[in-house]
Formats: sequence, structure tokens, C-alpha cells
Amino acid sequence: MIKKLSMLFILACSFTSCVAVKEYEKVNINDPDMALADKAADRNVSTFHSYREAAAGANGGKTGGGCGCN
Amino acid sequence: MIRNNYLLLFFALFSVALFAQEDQQESKYKKRVLETTEVDLLSSYYSQDGNNAAVSGGIGTEELTDATGTIVVAIPLNDDDILTIDAGVSAYTSASSSNINPFDGANPGNAFQASSGASQSDTWANLTGSYTHNSDDRNQIWSAKASVSSEYDYFSIGFGGSYTRLFNEKNTELSITGNVYLDTWTTIYPIELRPGAAYGDAGYNPQFTPFDDTSRNSYSLGFGFSQILSKNLQGSLALDLVQQNGLLSTPFQRVYFSDRQDYFFEDFQLADDVERLPDTRFKIALGGRLNYYINSVFVLRSYYRYYTDDWGITSHTASLELPVKLGDKFTIYPSYRFYNQTAADQFGAYETHLSTDAFYTSDYDLSKYNANQFGFGLNYTDIFTKFHIFQFGLKSIDLKYYNYKRNTGLSSNIITAGFKFVQD
Repeated sequence: MIKKLSMLFILACSFTSCVAVKEYEKVNINDPDMALADKAADRNVSTFHSYREAAAGANGGKTGGGCGCN
Repeated sequence: MIRNNYLLLFFALFSVALFAQEDQQESKYKKRVLETTEVDLLSSYYSQDGNNAAVSGGIGTEELTDATGTIVVAIPLNDDDILTIDAGVSAYTSASSSNINPFDGANPGNAFQASSGASQSDTWANLTGSYTHNSDDRNQIWSAKASVSSEYDYFSIGFGGSYTRLFNEKNTELSITGNVYLDTWTTIYPIELRPGAAYGDAGYNPQFTPFDDTSRNSYSLGFGFSQILSKNLQGSLALDLVQQNGLLSTPFQRVYFSDRQDYFFEDFQLADDVERLPDTRFKIALGGRLNYYINSVFVLRSYYRYYTDDWGITSHTASLELPVKLGDKFTIYPSYRFYNQTAADQFGAYETHLSTDAFYTSDYDLSKYNANQFGFGLNYTDIFTKFHIFQFGLKSIDLKYYNYKRNTGLSSNIITAGFKFVQD
């Protein structure tokens, strides 16, 4: 399932990357809500997840270390 | 001959002048990476409750509150470089931690009641400094950071760096990140396991030896890939590999064995041992984001993560957020997050471990469970920054609330607030 999704994503990237979106066409892409990261205000939410959950990483937050968690 | 030399000299000077002019034009039109100093003030209040405290071997109150305040200051040093200082303090009170010493003399010790001992509260403080450099064409970014954090029984220093490369008219981004955390525990054991402790009757003989190694080192390597897929769609993939060595057990988390007699002092069951976990752990996390700009009102933000480690834990995380723009200034953020994990090989509930096991823990954070989180947020943005405090204008306010429930009984609530100021 994960392999298939990853392959699909990479395939989609390789198709679309042939037609680059120009800077002047990135109005919607540059919308703050389109950012590929959590908002700053959500940082402490990610921190409490890293304390209460075994999984961490791949989200821009901590992967372990620096606190008595994980 | 002389004429030719003059011509050559003229072209040479013209070329130099032309290049110089181009350089000047480049520097003239080079956009600053960060226009002015930005300040983020972040705060949160977290509370949780449950009945599977790890401090008392998988039973007992998990009541906990935490208040955190953080300031992040990003300072442009020149057109290309940014210095960021990030300082935070977190103060918490924990009923389960208070039961490291449940015998406070005020009330009979009980795993389901908080004690008034010294371990009922603590403060965590962190300071991180990072430096980021951008190339002239903004297609390469280097960053380095150093951090220090401390709480009563834990001290950490960290170092890290990253390199990012943008391609394809900045439609494609690749990055590599490395971090090292060198942490040290001040080992605090349950009160009945400390030297000279006299609890229980003469038969109480716990299977306990102190930990030799009190260090915990974490090394992480991360790879990132992001791609603009259309004018309205972009996504990213992230892979994190983490190796941890050292004391990965928490020294004050009790374990009760099923093949040993139970001993009590007051109403509190005395530890047979503290949790014992392997001294290495290797983790792999693979995550992906896909964000779609539906129209001028709706944006769909999605996230999925697969996680596995060599302690036997496998986990899936999926979340959706639907920002809804209400005019130019306000956006609301309804969100849902699902999380599940399998249990660590070393996990067992209260009184299920055997004293002959090599590893054991009754920490429900390492148990099998699933969790649902619902959230709602509100953002206010003023691009004209009309409201001022000294020379800083308020650019945005973010308020968020999340409710989190596990099927093991633990539930929590968190309220966060973020204020962004920019210098005039």
C-alpha cells in the first residue's frame, strides 16, 4: 500500500516536473496555508505528540533526543 | 598594431564594466531573504488525565498540566543570512511523577492520588540558535544550529545542520538534514528503591540494580523532497532515520512482576523493579504531505506518516485540515488526526511481566492503541500591521484548540496561541 502510494507520488512528480510553474503563477502555491510544514502555533502540539506517542519524525519536528521523551 | 591593442583594451574594459554592471544589477535587485526582524510569541496550555501511569507500573493517575511559553526571533543579518534565536520555558505539574515518592505524610500513598512531593512539578528550559545562509540565486540554503535544554533530571546539548537545493525554477526541492543530541539523565529512582529506604516489611526484596550508563545519544539523518505539482497542488516526502544509544529507560517508572509477591506500604504497591528497555533503538519514519488550493475560500492540507522501529512498534498517522478563509483577515482551521501504533515487544500491562524477562515496561505510551484528535483554530492576519508594540507591528494571531482521546482511556486537551510581530 505504502509502496504503491510512494510510487504514484514519484510518478506524478516526474510527469508534472516537465512543466514548471512560473514564479508569477505561484500566487496560490505561496498562500501561507499551502506551506508544506506545520504552523508555528502547532509546535507545542507536535511536542506533546512526541511525549505521548512512540512514533516521531518525518513531520519537521523532533525525532528523539533533547527531552525525556521518545 | 597599436590600434588593435587599444581595441583589445577597450573591449576588455567594456567587458569588465558590463560584468560589474550586471553584478550591481543583481545585487540591486536581489530580494532579501527576510525583510525585517520577525518575532513569534508562542504559548500553550496542556492538560491530560488517564489511569495507566507508567510511574506506578501501569496503574494510577496520569493527571498532568503543562504551560509553555516560547519566543522565536529571526534577525536578517544581511540580504542572504538569518540568525534565529529560539528560547522556551515549560512548567508542568504531574500527579504520576509526584508518585516517585508517594509517601508525603499528608495522605496515605496511593497510585490514584497525587503526592505533594518535590517531583510533582518541574521546569524545562530550552535555547536554540540557528544560522541560515542562502545563495545569491536562492537555489541553495545552508543552515547550522546548536541547542541546549535542561530540566531537573535531564540535560541535553544538540547540534545540527542542513543543506537544501532547489531546481526546476524552484518547483523541486531536495534537502538533507543531520542532528545529534547528547543527553544525560540524573537518575531518580522510586523512593522505595533508593539506598537506605525502609518501606514494607522485612520480606520486601526488589530485583533492582541502578543503571550504569546515564547518557542517551540520538543521531538522526533526514531526507526531504518537495514538488510543486500544479498551480494549486504541491506535495512533499520526508524520510527520517534515527539511531539512539544509551539509557532509553526512564529510571523512575516502576514494574510489577506477576511471579513475585506483592508488597504495599500504606496503600501503595512497592516496585519490583524499574522498567528495563534495550540500550539501542533504530527508528524509521516516512511521511508525506499533499496540499491543494481548492479555491479562494478552501485549502485542503493532508499528511500521512508510516513509522517503524526495532522495538517492534509500527505506526500510522493521518491528518486532514481544511482552512476556510472568511474574508481577507480571518481563517478558521477545522482538523482531524488519526494515530495508531502496535505495542513495543517489551510492553506488558500491570503485573503481567515475569522477573525472568530480559526487558519490561508498563508504560502505556509504548502499548498498542489508537487515538483520535479533533481540532479547531482561528487565524487573524493584518498585512498592514496596524497594531504596534514599540517598533513591532502585529502581523498575525493564531489560536487553536485540540481534543485528543486514546482508546486506552487517556484524554487530553491543548490550547495554543501564537502572535507574530514584524519590525517596521
